[in-house]
Amino acid sequence: MRKEVKMGIFGLCLVIPSFLLLSVIVVIPIILSFIESLRDEFGGYGLSRYVYLFTDEGMRANIVFTLQVTIVSCVIVLAVSYALAVYMRFSTGRLVDLIRKTYMIPIFIPGVIATYGLINLLGNHGWLSRWLLLFGGTLPRIIFDQKGIIIANLWFNIPFTTMLLSSALAGIPNAVIESAKDIGAGRLRIFFRIVLPLSYKTFLVAVTFVFMGVIGSFTAPFLVGPNAPQMLGVSMEQVFSVFQEREQAAAISFFTFLLCSLLGYFYIRSMVKEETAKA
Amino acid sequence: MFRMKKRFTMLSALALSFSILAGCGSAANNNSASSAANTSSDSTTASNSASSSTPVEIQFYFTGSQNVKSLWDELTPMFEEKNPDVKVKLVYIPSGTGAQPTYDRIMAAKQAGKGSGDIDLYEDGLPFVTQGQKDDLWDTLSTSSVPNLAKVDSKTMEDVANLAVPYRSSAVVLAYNSEKVTTPPRTLDEVFDWIRQHPERFAYNDPSTGGSGNSFVTTTLYKDLPEDAIHSDDPAIEKDWAKGFATLKELGPYLYGKGIYPKKNQGTLDLLTSGEVDMIPAWSDMVLEQLDKGQLPATTKMQQITPGFNGGPTYLMVPKLSEKKEAVYKFLDFVLSPEAQAVMVKTMHGFPGIELTSMPQDIQDSFKGVSEGFRNFNVGELSKEINKRWQSDVAAQ
Repeated sequence: MRKEVKMGIFGLCLVIPSFLLLSVIVVIPIILSFIESLRDEFGGYGLSRYVYLFTDEGMRANIVFTLQVTIVSCVIVLAVSYALAVYMRFSTGRLVDLIRKTYMIPIFIPGVIATYGLINLLGNHGWLSRWLLLFGGTLPRIIFDQKGIIIANLWFNIPFTTMLLSSALAGIPNAVIESAKDIGAGRLRIFFRIVLPLSYKTFLVAVTFVFMGVIGSFTAPFLVGPNAPQMLGVSMEQVFSVFQEREQAAAISFFTFLLCSLLGYFYIRSMVKEETAKA
Repeated sequence: MFRMKKRFTMLSALALSFSILAGCGSAANNNSASSAANTSSDSTTASNSASSSTPVEIQFYFTGSQNVKSLWDELTPMFEEKNPDVKVKLVYIPSGTGAQPTYDRIMAAKQAGKGSGDIDLYEDGLPFVTQGQKDDLWDTLSTSSVPNLAKVDSKTMEDVANLAVPYRSSAVVLAYNSEKVTTPPRTLDEVFDWIRQHPERFAYNDPSTGGSGNSFVTTTLYKDLPEDAIHSDDPAIEKDWAKGFATLKELGPYLYGKGIYPKKNQGTLDLLTSGEVDMIPAWSDMVLEQLDKGQLPATTKMQQITPGFNGGPTYLMVPKLSEKKEAVYKFLDFVLSPEAQAVMVKTMHGFPGIELTSMPQDIQDSFKGVSEGFRNFNVGELSKEINKRWQSDVAAQ
C-alpha cells in the first residue's frame, strides 16, 4: 500500500467516530424535523407551518422578542467579558486575583437555582426592592420581563466567555506588547493594533457560543420571562407539549437552527479565509 | 516507535467507530430482545399464579408530581408487609413526560395481541378512563372482587361504569388571605367584581402550565354555557368561548402586575405566600399541604364557588387483559381501606376516595366546605384549543 493511501485511511478512521456521532445526534434529527415541519394539517406537504410562523402575530412577536434578547445579551456579554478579560490580562493586584479566583463560580451553580436566586433578588418583593424602599426608590419590573431574561443570560454567559477570551489574551506574547511600547505606541494603539487583531478570532468563537446559547435558552426565559411574547425555546415547548402540534414545533426549531447556522456560516467563512490567507 | 503509536491510535479509532456502530445496532436488538422477554414473562406469570410460593409481581404505572410518588413509596411497603404473596413494582412517570405513551402502550399491546403490555395497574384522570371505555381496555370492578369498593360513593362509580377506582380527589378552590379578605366571593361574578375592585391583588397562573389557572380560564369560558357543555369535546362550542375570552382579556389589567400570569400552580401560591396578591385559584391539596408545612401563612383560607371550579378524582384502572388481576384486586382493596386512605390524606392532603363518613372525625373536619361543590370538567382535546386561544387572545394582548 502506498503511503498516501495509508495516511488517507488513517485520517478517515480518525474522522469516522465524530462524524457518526454528529450524524446520529445532529444531522439526522435536523433532517427529520425539517421533513416533519413540511407536513401540513391535511397530511400533505407544504410550507404552511413556516407561513404561520411569519404571519401569526403572536409568533412574529416571539421571533422579534427572541432576536432582541439575543442581540442585546450578546452585546452586553461580550463587552463585559472582553473588558474583564483585558483587565485580568494586563493588570496586577489583589483585586485582579480575587476576580480571577471567583469569576467562574456561576458556571458551577445549576441554572434553575440561579434563576430562583435572581427571582428572589430582583422580584417585586425581592431583596433589592426592599433595600431600595429604605431610600424611597422603587424597582422597575425586572422579573416576568425582558430585562429579567437578559440579566439571567449575563449571569450564565459572562463567566465562560471571559474564560474563552482570557485564554486568547494569554496567548499574546508580552514581548510583542513590550516592543510596541518601546517604539512609542500608546495604550489605545497597542489595543487596537495588537491585542484586538490577535484575539479577534476567539472573539468570533465567543459570539457564536453566546448567540447559540441565548437563542436556544429555556430555563431562565420560562421562569422569569413574560407570558407573551415568549422566547422561541419557551414557545417551542408550549407548541410541542401543550398544543401538541409537533409539526409547528419542528418548524420553529428548524427556523432557530437556520438562525444559528447563519451565524455559523460567517464564523466558518472567516476561519476559511484565514486558512487560505496563510497558505 | 512512532509507527507503533500510530497503529495504536488507528486501532483505537477503529474500535471507537465500531462501538458507536454497535451501539446503533444494539438499540434495534434490544427491542426484539425485550419483546422476547415479554413473551417469556407471560409464560412465567402463568407458572407464577399456579404456584403460590413465589410472590406475584404486579406492574403499577402511575404519573403525577413528586407527592404522588411519595405516597406510593409509603403505601406499597405497608401493603407488601400484609400480603407477602404480592409484590408491587412501581413505575413512576413524572408528569408531563408520558401519561399518553403509557396509555398508548396498553392500547398497542392489546392490538398486537400481547395482553396488557405488562402493565397491571394504571393511574390517571377521567379523560383516560373514558378513552379506555371507548377502546374497551379496562376491567369492570365489583364489590365481590374488591370489597372496599362498597365504601366509595356509588354515584362516582356509576359515572365511570365501574371501570375505575377513584382513590383520591382534589379540587381547585379560591385560596385567600383572610386578613385582607373578610368575605370571600361565592360566585364567579363576585370573583370578577372583587378583581376589579382590588386591582393587582389577584393572580391566576398560565393555564398551559397548571390546572388551577386552567380551571379558572375554563370556568370563565363556560360560565354562561349550558351545564352539560363541560362534558363535551365537540369543537362546535369553540365559537361560544368568545364572551369568556373577552372577559379574561378585560380582566387582564386588573390582575397581578397588570397582566402577569405566573408559570405553574406553584407560581401563584408563591405570590400568595409573599403577600403580593390576596386571592388565587389553587389546588386544595397543594394549599393544605403547604399550610401544614408552614409554607403558606396560617391566615390562608379556602373557598369553593358555585358553580364550582374544576375538580375530581384520580382513578386507578386495571387493564382488562392483565393476567394478575387477583393480586391487583388485593392491592386495590388495600388502597381503599381507611388505613391507607388516612395515609393518603396525611401525605397528599387529597380528599379521600371513600366516603368521608368512613374516615376518622378529624379528617372529616379538615375538609369541611371544600371537598364538595366542585365540577368535573371533561372537554378532552378542546383544552388544548383553550390554551392556544388563551395564549393568543389573552396573554399576547
